[in-house]
Amino acid sequence: MAFACGAHMVAGLAVGAGIGYVLDRWLGTSPWLFVVFFFLGAAAGILNTYRTATGMGMALGYRPAEQGNEEGRPGATPAAGAEETKSQRGGNRGGQSA
Amino acid sequence: MANPLDQFVIKTIVPITVGDVDASFTNSSLFMVIAVAAVTVFLTRTVRDRQLVPGRWQSIAELMYQFVGNMVRDNVGSSGKPYFPFIFSLFMFILMGNLLGMIPYSFTFTSHIAVTLGMALMVFIGTTVVAFAKHGVKFFGFFLPHGTPWYIAPVLVPIEVLSYFTRPVSLSLRLFANLTAGHTLLKVFAGFIFAMGLAGVVPLAASVALTGLEFLLAILQAYVFAVLSCIYLHDALHMH
Repeated sequence: MAFACGAHMVAGLAVGAGIGYVLDRWLGTSPWLFVVFFFLGAAAGILNTYRTATGMGMALGYRPAEQGNEEGRPGATPAAGAEETKSQRGGNRGGQSA
Repeated sequence: MANPLDQFVIKTIVPITVGDVDASFTNSSLFMVIAVAAVTVFLTRTVRDRQLVPGRWQSIAELMYQFVGNMVRDNVGSSGKPYFPFIFSLFMFILMGNLLGMIPYSFTFTSHIAVTLGMALMVFIGTTVVAFAKHGVKFFGFFLPHGTPWYIAPVLVPIEVLSYFTRPVSLSLRLFANLTAGHTLLKVFAGFIFAMGLAGVVPLAASVALTGLEFLLAILQAYVFAVLSCIYLHDALHMH
């Protein structure tokens, strides 16, 4: 878990800073985009860490499965499939966090 | 004392140059070839004369197959079946690379970010293409979580996009950092054994314990890489 979170934070910062640096070089706006993307990257890293820590995987735009089903067909109870996938994904997070 | 980082040096075996690109056959490539050959030989030989009651080797091969099969079914769902061969190859390749690296004097190709990032980018680009093929333009809805107030969107969308792009980096970083750190630590401790004379028993004991830990990491990191690939695939296939 700890290492996964560390990797997320570092990756967020590295990607943000990298994109900012490249865009700055390309557009000649140094250092502004670097600063902006650095903080955006930090935010993305923290977001990923938060999602890992709260057991939401790394799913982007994550929504619980039942919410998605309610939207589509309000009356229908989610089939066993949806529920199953969700619980199993939850069960697997212990492995992912290592 | 030998430099603990010497084990990661890439040595050219057969120099090949394609245009301006150095595409030499290195010790890294050699060990990748060995890994692929070892996996192929292992999987084909063990199931060649199949028996209803499997022997030891056949049992190992079947367990691996089942293990990855269950992993894909649990994390991706039944729609992940067509992607099973990819995940299985990826898992076996990384596992064999990590385990080959545990043999003394061998080279660990998974300890190079070029290799791990290459594999992670393969997964990343692959899942993005799958998501596009499956959902088309709706794919961009990925970056705006449902029910976000409109005034948050300008801040949230760039963060979500960046968070999407950190996936291959964190995926590759985890494998690369674990393997590099572990092998370096092993070498550092091993270097102390002779330097400390009789007291070298202490780092020797640490080395033995760390070797066990390294075997655990070698298997665990292959598993983590495969599971995360499955989760990304799940996101690509089942966007809500």
